[in-house]
Amino acid sequence: MAEVWVPALLRPLCGGTARLQVEGATLGDVLRAVEARCPGFMERVVSEGALRPEIAVAIDGEAGSFPLFEPVGPASHVSILPAIGGG
Amino acid sequence: MTAAEKPSYRVIGTRPIRPDGVEKVTGKALFGADARPAGLVYGKVLRSPHAHARILSIDTRAAEAFPGVLAVATARDLPAASDEVQALGETAVNLKELSDNVLASDRVLYRGHAVAAVAAASVHVAEEAARRIRVEYEPLPVVLDVREAMLDDAPLLNERLLTRSMGKTISDRPSNVASKVQFVGGDVEKAFAEADAVVERHFTTKMVHQGYIEPQTATVQWNPDGEITVWATTQGAFACRGQLAEVLRRPASTIRVIPMEVGGGFGGKTPVYLEPVAAILSRKSGRPVMLTMSRSEVFEATGPTSGTSIHVKLAASGGRLTAAQLDLAYEAGAYPGSSVSAGAMTMLAPYDVENFKIDGYDVVVNKPKTAAYRAPGSPAAAFALEQAVDELARAIGADPLAFREASSSREGTRMVNGMPFPRIGHEECLRAAMESAHYRSPIEGPNRGRGVASGYWFNAGMQSSVTVAVNTDGTVNLVEGSSDLSGTRASLAMQLAESLGIEYSQVRVTVADTDSVGHNDVSGGSRTTFATGLAVHQAALDIQQQMRTRAAKLWGCAEDEVVYEAGSLRCTTDEAKTLTFAGMAAQSARTGGPINGRASLLARGAGGAFGTHIADVEVDPETGKVQVLRYTAVQDVGTAIHPAYVEGQIQGGAAQGIGWALNEEYYYDDDGRLANASFLDYRMPTALDLPAIDTVIVEVPNPGHPYGVRGAGEVPIVPPLAAIANAIADATGHRFSDLPISPRRIVETLHHLE
Repeated sequence: MAEVWVPALLRPLCGGTARLQVEGATLGDVLRAVEARCPGFMERVVSEGALRPEIAVAIDGEAGSFPLFEPVGPASHVSILPAIGGG
Repeated sequence: MTAAEKPSYRVIGTRPIRPDGVEKVTGKALFGADARPAGLVYGKVLRSPHAHARILSIDTRAAEAFPGVLAVATARDLPAASDEVQALGETAVNLKELSDNVLASDRVLYRGHAVAAVAAASVHVAEEAARRIRVEYEPLPVVLDVREAMLDDAPLLNERLLTRSMGKTISDRPSNVASKVQFVGGDVEKAFAEADAVVERHFTTKMVHQGYIEPQTATVQWNPDGEITVWATTQGAFACRGQLAEVLRRPASTIRVIPMEVGGGFGGKTPVYLEPVAAILSRKSGRPVMLTMSRSEVFEATGPTSGTSIHVKLAASGGRLTAAQLDLAYEAGAYPGSSVSAGAMTMLAPYDVENFKIDGYDVVVNKPKTAAYRAPGSPAAAFALEQAVDELARAIGADPLAFREASSSREGTRMVNGMPFPRIGHEECLRAAMESAHYRSPIEGPNRGRGVASGYWFNAGMQSSVTVAVNTDGTVNLVEGSSDLSGTRASLAMQLAESLGIEYSQVRVTVADTDSVGHNDVSGGSRTTFATGLAVHQAALDIQQQMRTRAAKLWGCAEDEVVYEAGSLRCTTDEAKTLTFAGMAAQSARTGGPINGRASLLARGAGGAFGTHIADVEVDPETGKVQVLRYTAVQDVGTAIHPAYVEGQIQGGAAQGIGWALNEEYYYDDDGRLANASFLDYRMPTALDLPAIDTVIVEVPNPGHPYGVRGAGEVPIVPPLAAIANAIADATGHRFSDLPISPRRIVETLHHLE
């Protein structure tokens, strides 16, 4: 199962939990699985079928604005984080 | 250089002359202001004298009637922009804010905010006519300080601005706080209660500018058929085109951006300021129009980096860092979008700290909208954290580098956002610093001190496209679209030569315009040598594959029996059948036509990087002058493709960081007027202010790149602020928690003056 790191500001949706183990072969699957346990999570992260512009996701340490069809491995780490700009 | 895991390369690691070197040193290279399309005329922008005011009316009649004037533009000439956030290049942009920053529509939010513009046959006529534009303002209260802007009764820049956080509005009344980020892990209170030592301190930094030599300039030709050509000084031709297309509401395909040579950017040449204005003036005048900023305009109206206010509380136990409570407030400038989230995420990156609580606030103030500046957000965060780490090491009697090593992040350590680090090199940097001749030498004499500090930057991947044309004489033309800010033509050509097994001298590189190459994101985030290098490598593999296919047909053997290595093809089942790269290239017309390699990718695997700096200073207690006696910058660069240019990046970043530490600041009066908007008064370091900056290149290869490349350009500006401050604390016994640590501040502190 993928491990999802829930950002601090979304933990109240998840009963205060920081880490969740969920099933999912894609980022969309994983986020929907989190939504099932943390109602309201999805709309904080996704808008119009894509990650919100101010949100990024890190999958196994690789951060980016991934599509929801991005593959997620069975032992992947998924973190939700603010989008980052560079110089 | 340390390179325990480095393979042997033929081209990588050498120091050839850059392809653009001769043109640049002989003055032949063409920069933005060198564009001279036929019929060129010039423009001037009228800017707000107020830091905050409502625009009641703009009367342009006198300017339009002025002899020689060809066009006048105001925000009324721009299409109405929608108030929506859109992903544009590497960042998200609110289109109305982008448009309003180009030409203010109803309100000016900082002194220097563009209000109108004039085009004329000469810039002097344009300037004189611009003065005749009558703007009626209703001045509004000004807020300049980030903490004051967060107060409930602070003047509001935008009465509709509500605080957002992770995809949700979290406030029910407007304020200047645009967004909040938070990172929490472990049990902070328990860790502080059990600590051997605790340090708590507040830090501030001022807004500072990138200080590039070349001012912003833009030349635009808008033809009657709707085709628009832009000669730009930009870090990203495609980002420039994208922003221009959004502001003008024109199809991207109708806009061609020609990237000229760039006289410094450091993140500041990512947003558009002049291009849309020049476009409007060109459309209205029927002539190509050039707009060029003066130095004062650059300071007042382009994007510097945030001033910050940062509270730090750290705990140590068992000889290592165990807890951190951090509160960061960053000035966004006139519109939301500071680098506070990056500051919050990078601040603890060098250390494996189990217990942390980090709050970050993005706050609008009546100053120019901030832009990226080398590792945006990270230097100020490191200034605060690394001083507190230094103080904590002293409190428990530990060597500052040994304390850092005991607390260091390593592979598998989780960042505060939950991301586990892949292979990283902070420990290697610390060890290299400890083993350096500099750190082993004594620091002796009155008023002298030594400081160290570490820093981190994520580095970026993003999108790159390249094509490589193989010529029949065995040379190749690499066409890429990444603005060359730092010698990347060379670092890309070297990777191509390495991957094809040919000589560096056989590669010619062109940075193409937006009509001539596929999409490339900005040269920013230290990504070009990594990400466009990855594309170059893939294009080389594409060429190798095409050559193997052709060789197999020529030789009548199976394709998997043809091997490409070291610039030659051979058949594994018949050793007599061999062809050099040049030999195969010569036969291209007879084996299927031209051979072109190409690659377009979204680069993955950008390896984050660390640096550790050592500074020795001498402080004159009478004048407050700080002399940097010796400076060593240690940095993990993964693999140094061209070590001389990597060293140049490290030295340049250190020099900018030293200036930031000692002198640089945006100095505002109470009305929001920038009092030092020139290089005479905005004190940047010169060669006379700095010692030779020694570099130690550490090479811990990035597993996400075939040659192990990590970005190198941004990390070196992160540690200097704190390294210098720690050295001054060592020299004087006083901890300076506000930047810049100017002679005045030192004298006032040491002599207890107000």
